[in-house]
Amino acid sequence: MKYVAELKAKIREKLPELDVVIGWKQGFDPVHASPAFMTTPEEIEQLVVNPLCVQNLATYLPGLKGKKVGIVARECDTRSIGELLQESLIEREELTVFSVKCPGAVDLVKLRQQVGDLGRVRSISFDGPRVTVETPDESSSLDLGELLPGKCRVMAYDEPVLADFRFVDPDQDTVCREEADTDLVALEQMDLDERFAYWRGHLDRCIRCYACRNVCPMCVCQDQCIADTRDPHWLSAETDVRQKWMFQLIHAMHLAGRCTECGECERACPMDIPILTIRRKLNREIHELFGYTSGMDVDAVPPLLTFQPEEKSITEREW
Amino acid sequence: MSAGNGRELRIVGFLCNWCSYGGADTAGVSRLGQPTDLRIIRLPCTGRMDPLFMFKALLSGADGVLVSGCHPRDCHYSEGNFYARRRLELAKRLLPTLGFDSGRFEYTWVSASEGKRWQQVVTAFTEQIHTLGPGPKFSH
Amino acid sequence: MVMGDLKFCPKEGLSRWVEELSREHTVLVPQQAGDAVEFLPFAEGSELSLDRQPTAPPKKSVFPQTETLMRFEYQKDPEHPDRQTLQIKETLPGKEKTVILGCRPCGARGFSVFDPVFGQGEYLDPYYQARREHTVFVSLACRHPENTCFCNWVGGGPADSAGSDVLMLPAGGGYVLRPVTDQGRQIVEVGGFEDASPEQQTEADRLAEEAAENLSPAPELEEVPDKLFELFENLDFWELMAAKCISCGACTYLCPTCYCFNISDEYSGLQGKRIRTWDNCMSNLFTHEASGHNPRPTKAQRLRNRVGHKFSYYPKLHEQVFACCGCGRCIKSCPMSVDIREIVLSAKEYADE
Repeated sequence: MKYVAELKAKIREKLPELDVVIGWKQGFDPVHASPAFMTTPEEIEQLVVNPLCVQNLATYLPGLKGKKVGIVARECDTRSIGELLQESLIEREELTVFSVKCPGAVDLVKLRQQVGDLGRVRSISFDGPRVTVETPDESSSLDLGELLPGKCRVMAYDEPVLADFRFVDPDQDTVCREEADTDLVALEQMDLDERFAYWRGHLDRCIRCYACRNVCPMCVCQDQCIADTRDPHWLSAETDVRQKWMFQLIHAMHLAGRCTECGECERACPMDIPILTIRRKLNREIHELFGYTSGMDVDAVPPLLTFQPEEKSITEREW
Repeated sequence: MSAGNGRELRIVGFLCNWCSYGGADTAGVSRLGQPTDLRIIRLPCTGRMDPLFMFKALLSGADGVLVSGCHPRDCHYSEGNFYARRRLELAKRLLPTLGFDSGRFEYTWVSASEGKRWQQVVTAFTEQIHTLGPGPKFSH
Repeated sequence: MVMGDLKFCPKEGLSRWVEELSREHTVLVPQQAGDAVEFLPFAEGSELSLDRQPTAPPKKSVFPQTETLMRFEYQKDPEHPDRQTLQIKETLPGKEKTVILGCRPCGARGFSVFDPVFGQGEYLDPYYQARREHTVFVSLACRHPENTCFCNWVGGGPADSAGSDVLMLPAGGGYVLRPVTDQGRQIVEVGGFEDASPEQQTEADRLAEEAAENLSPAPELEEVPDKLFELFENLDFWELMAAKCISCGACTYLCPTCYCFNISDEYSGLQGKRIRTWDNCMSNLFTHEASGHNPRPTKAQRLRNRVGHKFSYYPKLHEQVFACCGCGRCIKSCPMSVDIREIVLSAKEYADE
């Protein structure tokens, strides 16, 4: 991105006032970027912004409360920051947001489906919407639009929810877009038995590593999660699919009206279980019931923390 | 007396202590006949009703879940049932995505004096669950 | 190696062999499940997925995520309801043979780290031993090391046979089968294969060598165990290493060598079972004490334990062997791209100011 030099300069300028600035740097191989915790000018030099920078760095913010933190954030990431502020889980005055225009994102599962095992990729480069991937066997030219994570295709973010500094290239278009939620539509076209079998099948793979929980910017109970307590005994220590499924419902319900659909749960899942769909469904229903979208308005009250004596959109059953 | 073909199904009822629990009592004292598929768990308020109780019950093999509390504006704690209504409506709407018929779960309001209404609710809900049949199970 | 030992299995003969084996044994083969590759029982029509390193190693076949250690039941005396007796039922695994086919050499090698802990010395674990004895590993040698592979750092290699019973070496449109143990020899016999020709053997060796050369060179790690020990109290170092870690258990649960477990009783009413489940040192609960105190309250201390155990404490206890097989799953499955190689090298190169 052309703005990266300008961004680095701004971070260098601000660094003396901050304890740390979180951004991305190149990871262990060509296709992986990794969160970077910058405290020195040398570390700022390593900063990268490209479609491989997939982590939502807002997830680190509650853990850094009390420190002066700078964060490099795409538009959708600022939605998570907005929600954290809404819930007073972080302090605005401790935070400096370096908002970058999103260069698009690569879903590594989709990339793997296209080019095979990612462990053999020698290089990957981006030129507008073209993605060129080299492995020892072949060179592939792909369309970034086809590699976008599902989350980039259900909501378009042109502007950040909040920003202290904004970095945009003049010729840059918004990559994410609002289309039909194909995953959810596909699921809802199945009959009930098929949906039950779908979840039972997928969730059976779960290894209970809780990457989905720990990566979630809104999962702020951290070490006090009810999934881990023995009393009350919400979950048993067994690894049958009921425990795994119940955990997903615990997570989804605790995120109801709070989830910012950043998709980190699904991205983090090492077993590639499509768990974001459950959160999306709840968000759709919340939007329909309460006309509410989480994280977009720092002053709004989340819908499950309030009520109306007469709920206009809830039709109660007559007996 | 069980609804339907005589085979009992497993229905879990979460009832508010201040109203529906009393309503069920009223129905009993008045000798109003009711199907016996329901097992009642008493709550201090429907505001205590974590929607996860419902999911946990269904995933543990319950065939239906019923929540009953005080009528809106009648909550013993003023507003517990107002919060509950939002949560429970939302949870109900999630059920089909998971492969459960949304009819396996209902929430409603029955006061302590409404023995007759309680009888109607239990009978109608039990019939509804019998129409749906046993819920999805995890046996492999 | 006796010459006649090496057999050749043509690619199209593989599923017939697996089918043959599955008549007598449970055969777990890598299969596509969603977008992951898992070891699942072979059934008619199962498709083997051999091109990618399986997402999870075959660890759970020998060390299941949940192992029932015993079942118990309290019985009330109807005459004296205050008295109850306890009945305990043993639940040792059966003796049916399981064949794991298509794991990578690193996946099988993982159990060589388990063996000294569960299967040797004074305390033997009957559950582990029973499963270990009755599981046969047919490993597929790697042709193309991945960016995350570092088996050569820890004594392994793309055609390493440690822990395997048979090695399948790709060659000439099929596999040269090299039995490593007697159990392996029996498994190969089931296939009724022809002897591998000298050309096939040469090609197999050449491809294995090529694969080994494609790994980046292994650094010298001899001083690492001591170095990590010295860094134990240096929390600044560990906080730096753990800054991006989110303290989940993906690395541990996908690790072929992580063997830590928890024991809990799960019961309902008067019946229950005692189970052993995987535990992971990245979790707060791992060291959470009954008093409420936790000696490892931060992710830095937990990550220190994970790296320290693998590259310092274990080798100090068990003949300098690292508790790591270099499969790279902890790196590629980490949502935040934490790289254990980078931590080990940082420790090695760490110089006090």
